[in-house]
Amino acid sequence: MAEAVQPEQAGVASELRTSCAPLQIQEKANGAPRKPHPRRPNYNEIHAKPLPLDVFALPAFIPHNPISIVRLAIALISQSLWPPKSHSMIHKAYYSPETQSIHVTDPASIRALWENGFWGKGSLSRSEPQWLVAEKRRRGAQASKTSTEVTQSRREERKQFKLERARAQRDAIEHQLRQEGKIALDATVHELVENGTGEMKGVVADEEDVKSSTIDATSADKTLSREENDTDVVLEIDILDLEHLQLTPEEAFFLTYVLGVLDVVTVKEDDLDRPSNQYPAWYLLRLYCAHALSPSEDPHQEKTLTHLSTAYNASKGATLVGSALSCVPSIEPDNPFLLKYVVYHHFRSLGWVVRPGIKFAVDYLLYIRGPAFTHAEFAIMIIPSYSASYWTEPFNGKTTSRGADKERRDWWWFHRVNRVQTQVMKTLMLVYVEVSAPWDTNATEKEGFKVDIGSVLKKYAVREFVFKRWSPSRNRD
Amino acid sequence: MADEDEDISHLRAPDTADFDPTDEAQDFRFLDKLTAQDTAHPTLPKRGEKDFESHATSLQLDTLEASRRTMHGVLSWQRTHVQKGHILALYDPKTNMACVDKVKSQHFQTIGTNKGGREWLLPEEALFLIERGTLDCRWPVKREVGDEHVYRTEDGAPMSLQSAYAAFIGFEGGVGGKLTLEMYNVYAGLKRSGYVIFRTGTWDDDRGEPVLASPKAEMQTEPEPGVFPRFFSEVWRRLSQPTHTVSPANLAFGPIIKPGLYRSYNDIYRLLKLIPTHDRTAPPSFILPPSANNPFRVHFDVYRTTARFRKTARGPPDFRICVIDARESPIPTSAQLNDLMAQVPEDRPKESDQPYQRLKHGYRNVILAVVDNGIPSYIRVADSPFEDVKVYERAGPRGKGGGRGGGRGRGRGRGRGRGR
Repeated sequence: MAEAVQPEQAGVASELRTSCAPLQIQEKANGAPRKPHPRRPNYNEIHAKPLPLDVFALPAFIPHNPISIVRLAIALISQSLWPPKSHSMIHKAYYSPETQSIHVTDPASIRALWENGFWGKGSLSRSEPQWLVAEKRRRGAQASKTSTEVTQSRREERKQFKLERARAQRDAIEHQLRQEGKIALDATVHELVENGTGEMKGVVADEEDVKSSTIDATSADKTLSREENDTDVVLEIDILDLEHLQLTPEEAFFLTYVLGVLDVVTVKEDDLDRPSNQYPAWYLLRLYCAHALSPSEDPHQEKTLTHLSTAYNASKGATLVGSALSCVPSIEPDNPFLLKYVVYHHFRSLGWVVRPGIKFAVDYLLYIRGPAFTHAEFAIMIIPSYSASYWTEPFNGKTTSRGADKERRDWWWFHRVNRVQTQVMKTLMLVYVEVSAPWDTNATEKEGFKVDIGSVLKKYAVREFVFKRWSPSRNRD
Repeated sequence: MADEDEDISHLRAPDTADFDPTDEAQDFRFLDKLTAQDTAHPTLPKRGEKDFESHATSLQLDTLEASRRTMHGVLSWQRTHVQKGHILALYDPKTNMACVDKVKSQHFQTIGTNKGGREWLLPEEALFLIERGTLDCRWPVKREVGDEHVYRTEDGAPMSLQSAYAAFIGFEGGVGGKLTLEMYNVYAGLKRSGYVIFRTGTWDDDRGEPVLASPKAEMQTEPEPGVFPRFFSEVWRRLSQPTHTVSPANLAFGPIIKPGLYRSYNDIYRLLKLIPTHDRTAPPSFILPPSANNPFRVHFDVYRTTARFRKTARGPPDFRICVIDARESPIPTSAQLNDLMAQVPEDRPKESDQPYQRLKHGYRNVILAVVDNGIPSYIRVADSPFEDVKVYERAGPRGKGGGRGGGRGRGRGRGRGRGR
């Protein structure tokens, strides 16, 4: 019975009507109106570069084609005379301590960072910064749909389909009742209710629902088509883009420390152009680490941050005052930022596009090529692992080791996370990060204050385990 | 029943996945019906449709009645034991095993061990057969001093199910060789769902031996090319792939990728490799010392039922099961998983598999049976070779922005409703 009204059929019917009588669009009450989709942008072209860097491949060499040799030679000579640069643009950003994110405000930088590797998120959008597009469309200046709106209309369609299906089911039941002679052949369900068959109450209530919602849909259709007429008059409105791109500390650190395409500068807007006031990567590491702790873990966070910035300002000067450094907090080896960054770096270096996974109750999601092309297949949960000898040997005369409680998670926790992943058809992966022994032991000296990032990151090791529910009944044959 | 639940949740997944309350305006109008109704017979508001809902048609009532009758018929059928199939066994308190007098049943094709010409049943095997009414286990007769009489098995008192549970669970000799109730739950559950299941090893040691990877086939050496081809290929390699290195200063304070001329993104990605990972080519080794308290060891070998199965020549099992008490032990630590994986042989995916399949299959795998008060939840853990599946080498657009490429992203996304 449920198959009686297939969405395709409804679609075909409405399409027929549209093609026969385009003027009667307003009269369409049921069935989602199917307009030809506007051509989707060519994502292969837009997101051709996996990283915000330029590479220069040599032209193909075809032995039997002399022109290819000439082209090759020209490319080689010109590139050796005027070597092209991989870093065509150094993006500027500033750290916002209130939101604990890194803000990019330049529109060109925003586009470049999103398109070449899917970095960050629009502050007013779900992921891709598209507030301006949506706003223009809302004011009738531009007719294309953003992906959020596509999702929205898909949900509407599905809701409509469910209503249709419910009605078809009710019709079938009514038919059956008629056949069995429980209601008169010409009676309607309403009369049945008046006769007092209580069980039918819910059904009728629902039908009224259907009616009211179809009415809603009709009026919505009308307003919609009116809007469409309006769009013929394209309004050139100059809208101020209120949106910026926000990067997580891990993304920003990767862009700064690894690729060198992002300068995190001091907040003062007036001297953005001065190149000298960008923060070095080692200071950013200390900054992000200090911010990563929650207030419960670090009750004196504000004081810590003040100490950090005083020490940094002092270290820039030629004569370093030892007292400035004496208050610098050392970074714990299992600082949340470090653990997350190690995992982030690991998967980015293997070519995955790594995006935050808070919406799916995990730490990260892994995409091949990026969210515009595929769904994420893997969801990552980071588990710190304390199996280095520093953590396992007893200390202070206690019998338990230092790390014992920090890595403990029970099976109920695991199943909660895993259940969510199966619902959204992703595969849960626990990534164990081997925590090294404390390394930031001489932070209060000048050499120690400047963190040797490479050697620190190499102290951590990761190992991936994929978890999947296994059902005895489905693996028997 | 549990399986049915799983199936349904699986089928529904695409629908519910897309539901994101934050994206939709909440509509609470349906609550009106609650207050508008007469207060004497309040009913819950109706949202969505149910699989089974009464709608007063005779057709539905008839169907329900027929299936009810069938169920009663099955349950009231009288079950009997024939004398011919009566199997007697004697409990042996020394080994905590049962010794079968005369093997008569099909069950013994997949159960029991032959020792000294007699069939011995391990505790879980004996308990399983007693529980399903196949085996009549007897206590040994208590002998007085000087009693030389030879007793037969039948002379002993029959063992009740309660005493069988009390006797067989938790009383074995040998460290870590104890059958816990959780293990028996898993054993009986898998047995009932039609698997053939045996203990892995003897359970006498604290853990199994590390299983080394099978020696790989000799690398085939290609014949050396001549001098000229080699020279030109070397020139071409240097032109097309300039070698980049990361200087120590750049590694310490960034950026790792310094501005310059790069021929391809693969070159850049190769430079990014920094974080060490587990070396899966090295032979596996243990991290933790052997301990009877480590619950992560392989307990059972599980086989799919095949017609040609012989318990004397079992071959490699289809699945390996490790039984965990959910209340006693939390999720495994990295070291525990490492040691567990070291005890199972390599089971590599096919080279031809797609990256997702290869990663999900993993190089080694174990099935964890997490038991909470008798309810098992099975989870397959795979040691996933992310390091070996270099996504960047195959991530580029296929074809030259070809016809199929453009619309691909949304094409799959529509309708399936999976979260991005």
